[in-house]
Amino acid sequence: MNNFSVLFQKEWRENVRNFKILWIPLVFLLFGISEPLMNYFLPQILNAVGNMPEGTVFQLPEFTPEQIVMSTINQYQFIGMLVVTLGFAGIIARERKNGTATLLYVRPLSYISYVYSKLFIMCILVVGSVILGLLANLYYTYVLFGSVDAGAFMGFLGTYIVWLLFVISIVLFSSATFSTGIASVVSLLLVIFVQLIDGLLGAYWTISPWKLPMYAGGILNGSVNMTSFVWSVTVTVLAVIVLLAGAVYFAKRNVSKTKI
Amino acid sequence: MKTLLHMQGLTKEYGKEKAVDNVTFSLNKHTSTALIGPNGAGKTTILSVLAGLLKQTKGSIVFDGEITEDFRKVIGFLPQYPKFYSWLTALEYTEMTAKLSGVDAKIARLEAEKTLEFLGLGDAKKKKTGTFSGGMKQRLGLAQAIVHKPSLLLLDEPVSALDPIGRREILNLLKELQASTTILYSTHILNDAEEMTDQLLFLRKGKLVEQGSLGEVQEKYANPVYKMYFSSSEEAARFVEISPWSARQEDSIAFIHIEEEKPLMNEVLRVLSDSNLSLSKVERATASLEEIFLQVVNKG
Repeated sequence: MNNFSVLFQKEWRENVRNFKILWIPLVFLLFGISEPLMNYFLPQILNAVGNMPEGTVFQLPEFTPEQIVMSTINQYQFIGMLVVTLGFAGIIARERKNGTATLLYVRPLSYISYVYSKLFIMCILVVGSVILGLLANLYYTYVLFGSVDAGAFMGFLGTYIVWLLFVISIVLFSSATFSTGIASVVSLLLVIFVQLIDGLLGAYWTISPWKLPMYAGGILNGSVNMTSFVWSVTVTVLAVIVLLAGAVYFAKRNVSKTKI
Repeated sequence: MKTLLHMQGLTKEYGKEKAVDNVTFSLNKHTSTALIGPNGAGKTTILSVLAGLLKQTKGSIVFDGEITEDFRKVIGFLPQYPKFYSWLTALEYTEMTAKLSGVDAKIARLEAEKTLEFLGLGDAKKKKTGTFSGGMKQRLGLAQAIVHKPSLLLLDEPVSALDPIGRREILNLLKELQASTTILYSTHILNDAEEMTDQLLFLRKGKLVEQGSLGEVQEKYANPVYKMYFSSSEEAARFVEISPWSARQEDSIAFIHIEEEKPLMNEVLRVLSDSNLSLSKVERATASLEEIFLQVVNKG
């Protein structure tokens, strides 16, 4: 892995200096905190600003702490994934397009190090932000709704991180293979659109990387089918390996597409 | 003189189109060679193959006696419009490129500082590259190309985007570098080539159409001429009419092409004295590189 540390330092400086290190965690923190708060204070909020007639009574369902955590994940699954796919679709493609990568590619660097430096920075930003957001979420859920079983939460978090690795690999692969615009579309289709399809038609199959967030929720409230879960994790890990190998292959192959 | 690089039959095809067609040449150590040709002649393609950005369709390259595919360890490359990460300072950028080119991490910073100092960027080393002017970017481009002391420096139109002062400065720096490295550069500014070159390679539509030292090419393409200045264009026209040698006229100047040292000046003067034409000045001139370029590029 020659040059990895040099390339990683470059990625780190870039993300510190363009403030991604700040705003991506903030997005996940915001959704992590707002979900329990909104659910808890909804009756008061509606009373204060809802313009309701005097004496209106709402019968809101009682949420369990697990349900609050899962509704946060639903937010992450849409807005969070939108931020990840659009925020990183250019991570390799943009360098090629604007010509800054040319002066890297003319050096004896290993493309494995090159892709992995990008993978690491994405993992730190995305996985780190999600962990931060979920911990904040867990705190407010605990204060307002009650505690979540620690073991179940760890299992849930671990599963969700595998899903995040899958998303990161898709984005990295698309960026290595296509131009920024196409990479954004492909990542969005693979992450969000396929997720919708899996949600609509997924009753016909049980093993799918796109079902991992659902299985993560299942672990949280103790209702997961272990066989399907283990197979889904296995398939996802294999997909991650294939996508990363593909990303390295296409990053190298597309060197000739860099702007000279 | 020892050969550093020998390119044999290099061809690069894009579909049916040949961007470079069977090009063969050698570079001697510590010399500078200019790739000359109009836009689209294949100059950048040749440099890109050597820089490892493109793979040739056919042909082999021998570097220092060995057939080599990957030159990235031994070259420094400056593209025509180098692009930098705008959020890095000049020093951070040069240090990073030095490390990526294999300079020991312990001395990379020092080497980067020395290189920036040498290129006159010492005061700007802590500034972000995004704030740099065109001339500063070209120097920084040169810094990243030489910081690891490559044995072959590839420069794509190194000075064509600069103003005359910037051009002069960069050319002087390149002349200094010539002592320690071998330079292959492309250009369409022929004055630069005339000034800093040991070998000229003329490319047209991907083919190498002429090569040699400046002297050799000048000798081959430009027979010297007598430039004869008359007081009016009518007189020049009359002289061309009565001249027994091949001659042509431009305004009030008549040109006689000298072939195999003929005619001799005194023969020309004899014809003149017989004709009662008033001559103000005579020069013996060789063709400029630009005239040769036009001849080479337009031939065939």
